[in-house]
Amino acid sequence: MSSLSQLMLLFVGAALVNNILLTRFIALCSFFGISNDMHTSIGMSLAVIFVMMMASTATWLFYYFLLKPLGVGEFLYIPAFILVIAALVQFVEMYLRKYSPALYRAMGIFLPLITTNCAVLAAATEAVKPGFFKMNMVYDFTLGENLIYTLGVACGYGFALLSFTAMRERLDLAPVPEWLKGTPMAFITAGLLSLGYMGLGSLFGL
Amino acid sequence: MKQWMKVLKNGLSFENPLTVLMIGLCSVLAVSSRAEGSFFMGVAVMFVLVMSNVIIAAIRHLIPEEVRIPIFIVIIASFVTIVDLVMKAYLPSVYSFLGVWIPLIVVNCIVLGRAEAFAYHNRVWLSVADGIGMGLGYTIIITALAAFRELFGGGQIVFLKMTLVTLPAFYRPPNILLLFPGAFMLFGLIVAGSQALNRRMAAKQAAAHASVKEAM
Repeated sequence: MSSLSQLMLLFVGAALVNNILLTRFIALCSFFGISNDMHTSIGMSLAVIFVMMMASTATWLFYYFLLKPLGVGEFLYIPAFILVIAALVQFVEMYLRKYSPALYRAMGIFLPLITTNCAVLAAATEAVKPGFFKMNMVYDFTLGENLIYTLGVACGYGFALLSFTAMRERLDLAPVPEWLKGTPMAFITAGLLSLGYMGLGSLFGL
Repeated sequence: MKQWMKVLKNGLSFENPLTVLMIGLCSVLAVSSRAEGSFFMGVAVMFVLVMSNVIIAAIRHLIPEEVRIPIFIVIIASFVTIVDLVMKAYLPSVYSFLGVWIPLIVVNCIVLGRAEAFAYHNRVWLSVADGIGMGLGYTIIITALAAFRELFGGGQIVFLKMTLVTLPAFYRPPNILLLFPGAFMLFGLIVAGSQALNRRMAAKQAAAHASVKEAM
């Protein structure tokens, strides 16, 4: 088990330095798709944090207690993970609809979308294959580290999405040149935001 | 045969997944900093597209409507696993460059989208054409974008350890083209360009329409 400072580093590294949206381009479809409206963004961020934590716990248990002992982890992890995530999201949706209508109204419509959100599969894959994760932490995560890492990735997603949405709402009122209006300006704004995130990399020396 | 060519061309022009439908963008922005990696990414996507299209079209009468999506995903994931292992064995440097993007082909909207929109309703022969067309369209755009970024951002294009093109030494490459912000901004400008082109075409068409009406 690693020390507290290492866990903090893992969280910051996953949330800010290796921000999943702005420095690694994962899950961009939802980033540009729903960042028009603050209300939607908040719902989506909450749903992503919730689903990602559950999904990566499930896939971690699945990998270390089923696939690895059977010796099939190396070539079965892709189909296994995507099925576990899809089934889990389905169950969560059914459960919420029945027992927690308020929560379902807040983030229910986003749940089916999240199945095909690359971020969830990416976080699950990287937790068991840390070689992909470009920090100097190439070892097998324990369940606790996995949770911290996933929380970091999900919070990074939410943080980037909310800040970008706020910018886009202001951008609607800004005097943008005619030929850049709409999507092009959104891309350029994302580029500037991403430039800021790059600076964080050297700050922590990761 | 005529229809086959038509479907193939569709992927290259009218329904090109990236420029027209604007789906599957994430992998394009992330991978297109090196031409070599982009090219093999394109080949991998094309392989998965063609093979999953073939299998889905072949068994489309056996797949019940209600559970088709999970079945598509399992078929796609199997082929992605094949690509994953083959690339790891024979192209380790490309594999480590692409990293998590190879497993992420499973959730690439293009592959699932074509299975749903085309292969599930068409014969095997036509589905092959659709897979090749869409795959080629993807490969060409991603490789072109990567070649541009690598040439003007890094000064030279290296493909399988061979240097193909080198710019003269007085050109000081702006490094930002290779970095993430550069990708965003470059793509924003490309979208702006294609939007302007579309607007001009539409305006021309409207003008032509109006003049025809006047003549009548």
